[in-house]
Amino acid sequence: MLSLQHISKYYQNGGNKNFVINDISLDIDEGEFVSIMGPSGSGKSTLLNIIGMLDEPTDGYHYFVNEAVHQLKDKQRSALYKKYIGFVFQAYHLIDELTVYENIETPLIYQDFKGAERKAMVADMLDRFQIVGKKDLFPAQLSGGQQQLVGIARALIAKPKLLLADEPTGNLNSKQGEEIMELFRKLNKEDGVTIIQVTHSEKNAEYGSRIINLLDGRIESSKKF
Amino acid sequence: MIRNYFKIAFRGFWRHKLFTLINVIGLSIGISAALVIYLIVHFDFTFDKFQPDGNRIYRVVTHYSYSGQTGYNSGVCGPLAGAVRSQVTGVEATAPFYMLYQPNVFVPGKGNVPVKFKNEDNVILADQQYFKIFDYKWLAGSVSALNTPNHVVLTSDQAKKYFPALSYDQMIGKIVTYDTIKTAVAGIVETIKQNTDFTFHDFISYSTNAANATIKDQLQLTNWGSTTSQSQLFVKLSAKTNIAHVEKQMTALLNKNFKEEKGNTGGFSLQPLNDLHFNEKYGAFDSEHQANKTTLYGLLIIAAFLLILGCINFVNLTTAQATQRAKEIGIRKTMGSSRKQLVVQFLSETFLITLIAVIISIGLAPIILKLFTDFIPPGIKVSFLAQPHVILFLLALIIVMSLLSGFYPAILLSGYKPVLVLKNQASSNSSKTRNAYLRKSLTVTQFVIAQFFIMATILVSKQIYYAINKDMGFKKDAILIINTPWKDRSTSKRDVFLNKLRSIPQVDQISVGGNTPPSSNNTNSTEATYKDGKKETKIDLQEKFGDENYIKVYNIKLLAGRNLRSTDTSKAFLINANYARLLGFKSPNAAVGKQIDKFNGDKAMQIVGVVADFNQGSLHTPIVPIAILTSTSIYQNGTFHLALKPETADGAEWKKAIAQMGAYYKQVYPEDDFDYQFFDASIKKFYESEQHTSTLLTWATGLSIFISCLGLLGLAIYTTNQRTKEIGVRKVLGASVAQIVTLLSTEVIMLILLAFVIVTPAAWWAMNKWMQSFADRTSISWWIFAASGAGMLILAVFTSGFQTVKAAIANPVKSLRSE
Repeated sequence: MLSLQHISKYYQNGGNKNFVINDISLDIDEGEFVSIMGPSGSGKSTLLNIIGMLDEPTDGYHYFVNEAVHQLKDKQRSALYKKYIGFVFQAYHLIDELTVYENIETPLIYQDFKGAERKAMVADMLDRFQIVGKKDLFPAQLSGGQQQLVGIARALIAKPKLLLADEPTGNLNSKQGEEIMELFRKLNKEDGVTIIQVTHSEKNAEYGSRIINLLDGRIESSKKF
Repeated sequence: MIRNYFKIAFRGFWRHKLFTLINVIGLSIGISAALVIYLIVHFDFTFDKFQPDGNRIYRVVTHYSYSGQTGYNSGVCGPLAGAVRSQVTGVEATAPFYMLYQPNVFVPGKGNVPVKFKNEDNVILADQQYFKIFDYKWLAGSVSALNTPNHVVLTSDQAKKYFPALSYDQMIGKIVTYDTIKTAVAGIVETIKQNTDFTFHDFISYSTNAANATIKDQLQLTNWGSTTSQSQLFVKLSAKTNIAHVEKQMTALLNKNFKEEKGNTGGFSLQPLNDLHFNEKYGAFDSEHQANKTTLYGLLIIAAFLLILGCINFVNLTTAQATQRAKEIGIRKTMGSSRKQLVVQFLSETFLITLIAVIISIGLAPIILKLFTDFIPPGIKVSFLAQPHVILFLLALIIVMSLLSGFYPAILLSGYKPVLVLKNQASSNSSKTRNAYLRKSLTVTQFVIAQFFIMATILVSKQIYYAINKDMGFKKDAILIINTPWKDRSTSKRDVFLNKLRSIPQVDQISVGGNTPPSSNNTNSTEATYKDGKKETKIDLQEKFGDENYIKVYNIKLLAGRNLRSTDTSKAFLINANYARLLGFKSPNAAVGKQIDKFNGDKAMQIVGVVADFNQGSLHTPIVPIAILTSTSIYQNGTFHLALKPETADGAEWKKAIAQMGAYYKQVYPEDDFDYQFFDASIKKFYESEQHTSTLLTWATGLSIFISCLGLLGLAIYTTNQRTKEIGVRKVLGASVAQIVTLLSTEVIMLILLAFVIVTPAAWWAMNKWMQSFADRTSISWWIFAASGAGMLILAVFTSGFQTVKAAIANPVKSLRSE
């Protein structure tokens, strides 16, 4: 589904290059659940952002569903992204001015779904995550776990093939974290969504089918279960 | 999607109520001003635009040069129209008309008692061709009847006034009498509803002059040497005719038929129809409202400035808040929003704000119209919204304003990179300096505009104060001017009235004469020649008619010689010091007893006295040579100049005296209405347009200061919020409240000083230009600039002061704990 070949990202600092990602090659198949681990500053988030096309590598080749991403124009890349990828953040990043319902609806608006269709899809999602009763609340009125639930609902609403999660449980307590992880597992197993998550927690990482360890911008180890 | 944008926009406005309020107020002020000014400008620029082939219609006007003085007259001499018809090529239609001076109109009433309409204005003699050039809709009768003498065509409004009970068809043939001219109604045309200077409503057949000796005498159809503005001539040129060619032919006609004296020239030129409403040189007709293009452009500039100020506030406040919205932008981008969609979203927010401001402005406009009734031409109605062009204008305004104030913030905001935003490094760092520069220059622009207005206001008020309070060389207060009626000028009646006036105890002295010492209306001038040995001095001399009391009433100082006596008529006169100097006399005394050889033709006049110089007009015009002389003609002796005794404390005497004068007036002139004027009030009237300018400027100043300060307040709130932590740290390190306030205020002060440096030369230049129109003017003092700079500084520091002081005295523990 996704292939990175000799990907690097660095900043020019005088004569030196400061590598954030240093020559990483990586293939991920459809249906995998990958956890990326590593200490702070090892390049986890940058790698995830590059995969999610939010960030661009300095060098290397990037293929996604058989498209050469590094050759695409912004517009095409954005179209590809919209169609296939959902994003979940550590800090939830809900829009404060929108209600739960509207937050979940937003991606659909950008993908030109019709009003009635949007309504049905959002209702379905609210139902599935059991947050129907909260649909008219604003993010500030929810707990962290609930906010992240909304964040995930929003990421999934457009039925992405690939879900990227940047420390999705980082701001949650352990019980809430576990629930989110269970949800991820279910999504992966039952719906076949490919998931890549960045995490600090050994325990959460083990929900995945593969763990990649990064250190100083390189892959230190990669093991499949 | 648009609905979603509007929804989030509304919630955003609600969350930032203060900023929204500032934006809306700023924009509404600009838009209200723009709306009202648009109404005025549109009104004045659409005069007579509806006339078909308007670009081929011209008024023939006369220009002349007479003993070195050039003059202009909106009329032409009587025979020109006939000669143009028969001898000038390139003219499609020729319409002469003659404006009668306020005739009394009689229409048959019940039981043979005629109904009288006193002093009707806008009555003209016109012929068929008039209706060929100008477009009227005929409701009854036909134009051909105007061929025969003693017929009249009425406009529908006027016809209804004369014959309220009849239908238009029934009015045909009815008799209407104008003073002595008896006419039959030949047709009714619809009153013009569009904006027009052609407000005539009674058109008497031009050929009536053949049947009526008085009219024939007035029209002067064979005299090429006399021109009156009452006799007007309009022509419609054939397509593609060269204007200069037609003018040349007309002037040639004049030269062929009339021999001007040596040194004098005369000629005709064609004034385009669209110039009629604006050209003060010629005027429109009689007392029609005319517009001044400079004033209109000035108004447009004010509107533009106020709009710009509103936009600047918007840009400043929105970009200042940008980082707060950065997160939303980042999220939307990761949700798949394109940059274009974000730009559209922000623009739609701006659109919404502008729309709200426009709605408020529509509500405010009638109030503004009412407030400024003095300046606003009476034709502008409150029901302006019914006109489609106003709606179009407002739509255009909304779009332009939205783009102007929304475009930059939209581009800036939509440019945020989502990765940076979501990592909580809101891109403030990368673009902060650039951004701040823009905000600062916009703020400086606001201060430049505001200070310019302040300076201009101070200067204009200073000049008006100077003009009104300057010693013009005569007494101004406690003088009353009464004119005897123009139509009823007989010496015997005047003397009866004079004696009655003398009997009123509050009247101190009365002078019978012509114009007041400074007069805005027409002055009489004549050429005077003085021979000193071989040297001959020819000078244009202005005449003031008055009796021996004239200089006493006005306290005009006699420098040498004696006052006038009634026996001096056509033998001797007084001159002013200016004339004595021009004639070459070293002192006023030297002039006394000398003789002017040729005065008013070849009369010889003796100088019996010299008076001190006084202004003969407003301070716009310089002091010129003048003679004060007596006359026996009733036309030069029709005005009473009354010096009143000072009022006592309770101040009812003058009122009583004036009431008494009115009663006497009615006894002597039962046909006419009593009218009087206080002399000092008429002097103030000289500066009416300056007073208007001053009022407008004061408003513009107040509003621009208000908008700028609002923006400043917004920015102060924003910066202090941004720097809360910095302030906390500084206080912990030992900074005093004063030091912090200084720190926060320095920037504002620097910006104002910069604006001051920029605006001063520009303002000085503009003021200098404006002052050129005054022959006698006050100085542009340095303190005007200093005062406006200091005033702005104080206002600004005061505006942001509350906020900075609040931030400075806040407890640092609180601001630092928030981590």
